[in-house]
Amino acid sequence: MALTTRAPEPTPSRSWWQVVSRRPEFITLALIILLSILIAVINPAFLSVGSLFDILRATARMGIFALGVLLVLAAGGIDVSFTAIGAFAFYTTTIFLLGVAPDAPFALPLLIACGIGVLLGLLNGFVVDRFKAPSLIVTIATQYLIRGFLLAFVGTKHIMDIPASMKGFGTWNLVQFRNANNALVSLPMTVAVLAVVAIITWWILNRTVMGRAIYAVGGSVPIAERLGISVRGVYLFVFGYAGLLAGLGGLLHASSNRQANPFDLVGTELDVIAAVVLGGARVTGGTGTVQGTILGVILIVLIQNNLVMMGVPSTWQKVVIGVIILVASGVFSRRKTS
Amino acid sequence: MTTATTNTTEFLRLESITKTFGGVRALRGVSVTIRSGEIYHLLGENGSGKSTLIKIISGAQPPDGGTIIVRGQSYQKLGALESLKVGIETVYQDLSLFPNLSVAENIAFNAQLVQNNGRLARVLDWKALREVAGSALRRVGLEPTKDFLETTIEQLPIAVRQLVAIARGIATKATLVIMDEPTAALTQKEVENLINIVSTLRKEGVSVLFVSHKLDEVFRIGGNVIVIRDGQKVADGNLKDYTKEDIAFLMTGKRLENHRYRNAEPQQEMLLEVQNLSQRDEFEDVSFKLRKGEILGITGLLDSGRNELALALSGVNPARGTIRLEGKTVEIKNPRDAISLGIAYVPEDRLTEGLFLKKPIRENIVVAILNRLSKGNQLDDAKITTVAETSVKDLQISTPNVMLPAQALSGGNQQRVMVARWLATNPKVLILHGPTMGVDVGSKDALYKIVQSLAEKGLGVIIISDDLPELLQNCDSILVMKKGWVAKTFVADTLAESELAKELLAA
Repeated sequence: MALTTRAPEPTPSRSWWQVVSRRPEFITLALIILLSILIAVINPAFLSVGSLFDILRATARMGIFALGVLLVLAAGGIDVSFTAIGAFAFYTTTIFLLGVAPDAPFALPLLIACGIGVLLGLLNGFVVDRFKAPSLIVTIATQYLIRGFLLAFVGTKHIMDIPASMKGFGTWNLVQFRNANNALVSLPMTVAVLAVVAIITWWILNRTVMGRAIYAVGGSVPIAERLGISVRGVYLFVFGYAGLLAGLGGLLHASSNRQANPFDLVGTELDVIAAVVLGGARVTGGTGTVQGTILGVILIVLIQNNLVMMGVPSTWQKVVIGVIILVASGVFSRRKTS
Repeated sequence: MTTATTNTTEFLRLESITKTFGGVRALRGVSVTIRSGEIYHLLGENGSGKSTLIKIISGAQPPDGGTIIVRGQSYQKLGALESLKVGIETVYQDLSLFPNLSVAENIAFNAQLVQNNGRLARVLDWKALREVAGSALRRVGLEPTKDFLETTIEQLPIAVRQLVAIARGIATKATLVIMDEPTAALTQKEVENLINIVSTLRKEGVSVLFVSHKLDEVFRIGGNVIVIRDGQKVADGNLKDYTKEDIAFLMTGKRLENHRYRNAEPQQEMLLEVQNLSQRDEFEDVSFKLRKGEILGITGLLDSGRNELALALSGVNPARGTIRLEGKTVEIKNPRDAISLGIAYVPEDRLTEGLFLKKPIRENIVVAILNRLSKGNQLDDAKITTVAETSVKDLQISTPNVMLPAQALSGGNQQRVMVARWLATNPKVLILHGPTMGVDVGSKDALYKIVQSLAEKGLGVIIISDDLPELLQNCDSILVMKKGWVAKTFVADTLAESELAKELLAA
């Protein structure tokens, strides 16, 4: 019956573009390799297990937040409230634990912080769906609300003595040894947490109906509604998940620092969003991968941690990040072939 | 009214469906019966209420009153998911494909969603998804290579997207497939293929409900016809009992004549000469001449390069070669060049390439000539309104005022707003790309009258279209393109449609 057979044939001259358009994270990877070589040439000390562990540690901290943001971006939204949610979660959990059960095992603060995160995230999702409001505005509002509420009602005191279970988790290392200079080199447990979160997120996005529904809603809300996809379900899920990871990320932040400062985190959300975008997720929604996001985070971490080692003043880091985002967005925007 | 005498069972019955939008009664008690394994054509002008009827069947909108009966079970309304679950699939006019998702996902994701009753917390079966997508693609004549299955929709040309949308409609064992203008982006050859698909579906007991403006196609496919006018059903029966003229009359309420409205011959004065125009991989050595007052038609299959030629002339994608306008050699490097030379281009897809849907009609009309409508450094509001109102009157755009958003207009009126915009630039050459795509017979007729009277006044017009009757009715000469070359030039006056179609399809 087939009268026409016209599957588009890839033209060889454009093939690398096709690779880039389907796998934008290759650009991110290329940038990481390029930057690493540059850093290593200027400062050979960069090539050590120690600096690798440093990168991984910082990647783990930022990556957990970034994976939550990835889901929201993929569904066509944006979330700038997750840092406030993270701070609210860890600080409230710390206060609660110190007051009620200072000796409880780590599972309890974990449960509380994640629970707080989910609830606040669901609030975002509910407002975005119910009032058909742009998520940027909604989450700017909830960022102010959550942070204001935290500082006004929960407290502003910088807590130096956090519960033992949190401190314990913060100092729990996967690997630890002394290097040639007799300095302690360690790879914290948070890296393993990121790995688990990354695998779960990847599984959700690629192996479940929800995952594909997220990309579908990010592609077009009216079409999704027409095809019977529950847009409300998707919004609640992605914002709830971003909240969950914000709560988890916040708790790990306080545990690793061995202190709970309610003024922490807020102000870093643009770094995280930048990382996700550098990983190939479009701000307009419908794209983005876990692999790309992790690579984007590594790229930002490399810039933040190592430009100083290259002799670039820290004030220039922002300039470099800005330039890289501009270049990357230029490259990514050419992806649209239609 | 006679109906086809069959003993097939009733699948869907709509009883006295009503729907009102802000005081406008879109449907006033429409009753329709759809039996299994039959073909139906839902016909009506833009704004007649047929889109609303489709939306009610596919669950996009609830009716205000009436009953929907599916397999004997009554519903007040169908939700989008419910409609899919009872076996109603829709191929939407705008295709409704996710641009960012792969071909496979677009075709087969929905099947799994429906299977899971809309629940999202389920594991996706990729293997089943690819199999369902693969077999659906084969049925519409596309080879489901791994690479193609993984291609995202935004990388595909519009005609392939159309086929993918049809593939989604037939991917599952639907009982009723609604096809809303499925041939809009397809060429003759692909339309033939679609007709084959439909007859196979029919043999399998599937009903197909077509919505189309192309009456020729409707009669070629055959089956039953339902005509809607002003929210009411005015005819329901077997197509065999009607002539094309009957249907056009039922749709519009007035008799239309299929002839030329033009009396004057084209003038002798040369307007546009195109010589050896080439664009790599798209078309080569295209030459033609357009006299003042001439209407030139350009047609061809999708790979013929006709679309690319249109974009080259309008400056969107410039090409190499010589273009002479009124004897002077000119260069068209971008749309601004084209506009300042007096070449106006009305694109094919008015929704995405032309209109600012949410902006008022007035702004849509004057947007290309804003620089001429200023007073000092400011825009002259009064003058803008006057210009827009004159255009609206000249082109018989039916609207209470020029401040309504363009999206409030019917397809035919939207098309006229686009034409008005470009006429406002005082062009010498008007290029119309698929001018009546998705426009009903009445509006088509009105547009033809306008275009032909413009030509009488000396405007050169190029119509790029695959609607052959349209070309024959309007053009002085017709160029048939094939694989980037001009295969043949016809004089339209003495040409029969069959001859033109033969040339078009000949390899």
